Amino acid sequence: MSLLLEVDGAEKRFGGLPALDGVTFGVDEGEILAVVGPNGAGKSTLLKTIGGLERLTAGSISLSGSKLDGLPPYRIRHRGVAMVMQTPQAFASMTARENAVLGAMFGSATGLLSEREARVRAEEALGFVGLSDRAEDPVATFNLHQLRFLELARALAGHPRLLLLDEVMAGLNDAELEASIGIVRTVRNQLGVTVIWVEHVMKAVMNLAERILVLDFGTMLAEGAPADVMRDPSVIEAYLGSSSSA
Amino acid sequence: MTAVVLDGIVLGLQFGLLGVGLTLVYGLGGVLNLAHGQLAVLGAIAVWLAIGTGLPVLPAVVVGLAAIGLLGFLLDTTLMRPVYARRGDERVLLGLLLTLGVAFIIDGLLNWRYPIASLNISIGGDPISILGVRMRTGSLLASTIAIAAAGLLLLFFRGTTLGRGVRSVIQDEEGARLVGINPASVRNLIFALSAVLAGLVAVTRSMTSPVSASAGIDFTILALIVAVVGGLGSILGAFVAGILLGIVNTVSSFYIGQYITTIVLLAAAALTILLRPSGLLGRRK
Repeated sequence: MSLLLEVDGAEKRFGGLPALDGVTFGVDEGEILAVVGPNGAGKSTLLKTIGGLERLTAGSISLSGSKLDGLPPYRIRHRGVAMVMQTPQAFASMTARENAVLGAMFGSATGLLSEREARVRAEEALGFVGLSDRAEDPVATFNLHQLRFLELARALAGHPRLLLLDEVMAGLNDAELEASIGIVRTVRNQLGVTVIWVEHVMKAVMNLAERILVLDFGTMLAEGAPADVMRDPSVIEAYLGSSSSA
Repeated sequence: MTAVVLDGIVLGLQFGLLGVGLTLVYGLGGVLNLAHGQLAVLGAIAVWLAIGTGLPVLPAVVVGLAAIGLLGFLLDTTLMRPVYARRGDERVLLGLLLTLGVAFIIDGLLNWRYPIASLNISIGGDPISILGVRMRTGSLLASTIAIAAAGLLLLFFRGTTLGRGVRSVIQDEEGARLVGINPASVRNLIFALSAVLAGLVAVTRSMTSPVSASAGIDFTILALIVAVVGGLGSILGAFVAGILLGIVNTVSSFYIGQYITTIVLLAAAALTILLRPSGLLGRRK
């Protein structure tokens, strides 16, 4: 498999405090990588720097060899990197379809699409996440789970190569969690979209991730297959606190 | 009474167009353009100059409006850049100060070069009877243009994905950027559009009464009142407020007196802010 995303020595400081410090990793095309870690570990900051919402203080990020860091978010979107945030960002005054059409029209790598083409892509994306029958409904009537699926559809409508998911499984019940895990897997399997996914819900991570990256205080603690990483003493310590002091 | 109300609607449609430009620029970038009226007048004077070179009225209007649109675009890409680079109160304040400066400069230049210039486009033809009221053709043409422009604007913003893209920036700039929209180019485009609309209002206004080079401040105040009453950032609100205030304007100047009309309009704005702080159709934050 070929390398899609390369993060090299990523550093982000807010004031003097490092939120990310020397984070280096790569993501292969078609991979599902989960980023986990305690609160404040820098997980969301990492996603935001990749998506262009935050700027790196040092280091670099590149997609298929071309530099990504320093570009504004909409340019990064046009390169094929779509983001779904923890707090849904769908436009509440519009219908689901209108939201998805926006994603198709402005998110595409090939510049503005025709209205017709954008509609076709939006329809496909809504169908993909199972929201076709709610296309005409105003977004204000959607619950959290449906909003996240709509956001996913809006991202997919722009035909991305890399999907960044920021704790999209927080606050869901078991059935919704299962549906969410299923849809992310289908996105990768059927559309070949690479996924980087920040998550707190460990049940979902162990179920879906193929590789895990553990962050703690902005540095990389461990990286590898889910089962191995979770047995790593330093990871256990970061999650459960130091046991040696007792 | 019907005549007074009809006159009010004619005036109000133009108020609406004037307010909508201001409200769009504010909604997109948080900049309350205090030079909005000056841009309107500058557009009118540009048309006047174009007519002065011997151009027929229609091409002169096109040239004048294109020029004012270009100026709006240039202002937004140069002078307004440091404004958009800031956030929150700083952006609002810097925006107010810079656009106020632009207003003074335009007023000064016009007063220096064209102190007695005024645009007065006379539309010939006999009055036409509407609802039993004889309306001047100038009024009717001005209204027709205003209605057509309003219709096109609403169609663009509600019915096309490009227009919804602009609205999405008004609603949530970060969300719009995540969708792949470049807020800066949307702002450029809308600032230019806003200037063209302002110029168009001055042109339609000149079909019923002369627009002088010193009228900028009056247009700016009107635009502010309309945008605030309609709800800053609301396109439909600007038109509703424009028509209501247009009727208030003609009714009060007919029954009370011209001199008191501005006070009545300001009172209407103050009352709206008291009762509905976010304006008639504004979103509550």
